[in-house]
Amino acid sequence: MKMNKKKANLVFAAIVMLLGMILSFTPQTVHAADDSLQRVKDKGTLVMGTSPDYPPYEFITKVDGKNKVVGMDVQVAQKIADDLGVKLKVKQMDFDSLLVALETHKVDMVLSAMTPTEERKQSVDFSEPYYNAGQAIIVRKQDKSLYKDKNSFVNKQVGVQTGSLQQDLAKKQMKKSNLKALTKVTDLILSLETNKIDGIVAEDAVARAYVSNDSRLAMIDAKFDLGGDETSTAIAFSKNSGTLVAAANKSIAQIKAKNLTKGYIDNAGQYMSENTQNTSMLHYWSYFAKGIGYTLLITLIAVFFGVLLGAIFALGRLSKKKIFHYPSVWYIEFVRGTPLMIQVMFVYFGIGLLWNNIPAFFAGVVAVALNSAAYVAEIIRGGIDSVPNGQIEAARSLGMSKTDAMRTIVLPQAVKIIWPSLGNEFISLIKESSIVSIIGVTDLIYQLRAVQAATYRGVAPIAVAMVIYFILTFTLSRILNRAERKMQHD
Amino acid sequence: MTEMVKVESLKKAYDKNEVLTGIDGVVNSGQVIVVIGPSGGGKSTFLRCLNLLETPTSGKVFFEGTELTNLGEKQLDDIREKMGMVFQSFNLFSNMNVLDNLTLAPKRVKGQSEADAQKKALELLAQVGLADKKDAYPDSLSGGQQQRVAIARALAMDPDVMLFDEPTSALDPEMVGEVLKVMQDLAAGGMTMIVVTHEMGFAREVADEVWFMDGGNIAEKGTPEDIFDHPKNDRTKDFLSRVLAQ
Repeated sequence: MKMNKKKANLVFAAIVMLLGMILSFTPQTVHAADDSLQRVKDKGTLVMGTSPDYPPYEFITKVDGKNKVVGMDVQVAQKIADDLGVKLKVKQMDFDSLLVALETHKVDMVLSAMTPTEERKQSVDFSEPYYNAGQAIIVRKQDKSLYKDKNSFVNKQVGVQTGSLQQDLAKKQMKKSNLKALTKVTDLILSLETNKIDGIVAEDAVARAYVSNDSRLAMIDAKFDLGGDETSTAIAFSKNSGTLVAAANKSIAQIKAKNLTKGYIDNAGQYMSENTQNTSMLHYWSYFAKGIGYTLLITLIAVFFGVLLGAIFALGRLSKKKIFHYPSVWYIEFVRGTPLMIQVMFVYFGIGLLWNNIPAFFAGVVAVALNSAAYVAEIIRGGIDSVPNGQIEAARSLGMSKTDAMRTIVLPQAVKIIWPSLGNEFISLIKESSIVSIIGVTDLIYQLRAVQAATYRGVAPIAVAMVIYFILTFTLSRILNRAERKMQHD
Repeated sequence: MTEMVKVESLKKAYDKNEVLTGIDGVVNSGQVIVVIGPSGGGKSTFLRCLNLLETPTSGKVFFEGTELTNLGEKQLDDIREKMGMVFQSFNLFSNMNVLDNLTLAPKRVKGQSEADAQKKALELLAQVGLADKKDAYPDSLSGGQQQRVAIARALAMDPDVMLFDEPTSALDPEMVGEVLKVMQDLAAGGMTMIVVTHEMGFAREVADEVWFMDGGNIAEKGTPEDIFDHPKNDRTKDFLSRVLAQ
């Protein structure tokens, strides 16, 4: 037994080293020769990463019945793409994931109302700024008279977007306030309206967009002490892509010379007012429908491969052959011992280093299926273990092979035992698959965010999504119960 | 008389715990061997080594002239087909009814047709007195009935030898008789049998030879009269005096 453990540890160490090698792959790609502009021209598309929950910079609206990312940033990117003579492709993801996407070459550039701070400059290159914005604080309208500027928020709860410039500013210049960082502006607005926070630091263009669309909100000038670049918005590129940056700067110079941004913002404002004309959830049914579709699709594919792989890992774990046994044990332990969220990010960004254009949907499904496989493996193993050994012995004493005994005697008995737990796993997968929204898979959670951003309504989309999730899981659990009862009668 | 089963210095150890310390013996065709002895003496392990359900640590096991301990899985399956086994805990396939329990292996291993397998199964069920239970599931049968089905299941493969591993030990006393009756009929029909049991009456009446096992080896062999009326070994005497006193 001791020998086995030693060997087990060795192989585990090998796996950790392999992970390390994948990780150390990152700097290599950074030091590659600068062919960034040529690459974009060769493939004919310029891929822009953005987190479309930040009107008027970027948000989602319906154009000709289809959901589309629009806003000032998209128009700036379109201009650059036009100047280069290539097509623009917009990739949506969480703000926090954007710079990682850049480093791993999932996107060519990031336009997401991003400010070129010193910290960010350590890991990415920036273009010249294309827009300069002031900073504001959004407050509840009835409280507006209480606040003058950033210094009025002593001991108050102040919301900022995670990883944003505003978070840095507030950290440094609003030390007496309690900061609360959330990923989504829409969630911040919701927190403000439900009195969980007292103000939100945001760019004035963003603040204006929300205030003009929601009569319960008002804004004040934050009056931060701002250094040169800190008020500006620029495009982020991966390090060492000087040729692409130079090309973008040329377009930006034109935008500035002709003052095109004003037109872009007006244009965005039009989309915004269209969005808010009808904020009933019914109007946005297609968003939710698409979300349901993706959530179900992810779950179904993940369940199918989860059960398939799970069965293989379960048999592997039960195998007396070490070459099958130990890898299965490590896999199960490792996957169950790490959060699904990290696994999703690892598959998308980590594996993405080896396979450049891994689609977010594919990565999401793979991660969820691989995760589910570990849990299903344990369920199946438990089921097989609970079939008395005498059943196999009896079959073998009749001359049946191990495989045959497994198939005709053990598995049919195990299925009956594991069915309820397997059903629970399906149901929890419907809910847990929601995590893929962080890499931009347009599942139900993602669409809920989109509707929040489009309508400036916080609670209603959450309620709708919650009801939908419940209908999905409740229906499934009914179906599974029925199947279970039927099986008991057989 | 031809040799059916032969073992040579058979040993079995789990880690350092020696369960069988070196067993030699021959079972001839048509013979009924009854193995008796105190619990923990290695009787069941010995029996399970004969069809390689347990892998011996050393020594040889011959069946109809073939040495088994270095056969591959596939060849072993072919051998096991001819060595029927009946377990203490019946081990009927709980996901199948009685008829399917009997026909599964003949169909899958011997490739018999459904019709042939069923015909044979019904004959065997009649032989053990359970023709009316063919559609019942194991958990609706009594222990005695389950064990009789298990015997019929083993017979369905047309084995050359039947191994019985304490077939009545898990039964309520009133059901022991019905199972022993079936076994007695089998013996009378000329079946080669190796029976591990605590039923001394059965041993005395049915056995051609009684093997007394204790401490991992065969302490004494002989006819029922030798063993029960004139035991030579002190351990045999001690065991019998305790068992028969009950």
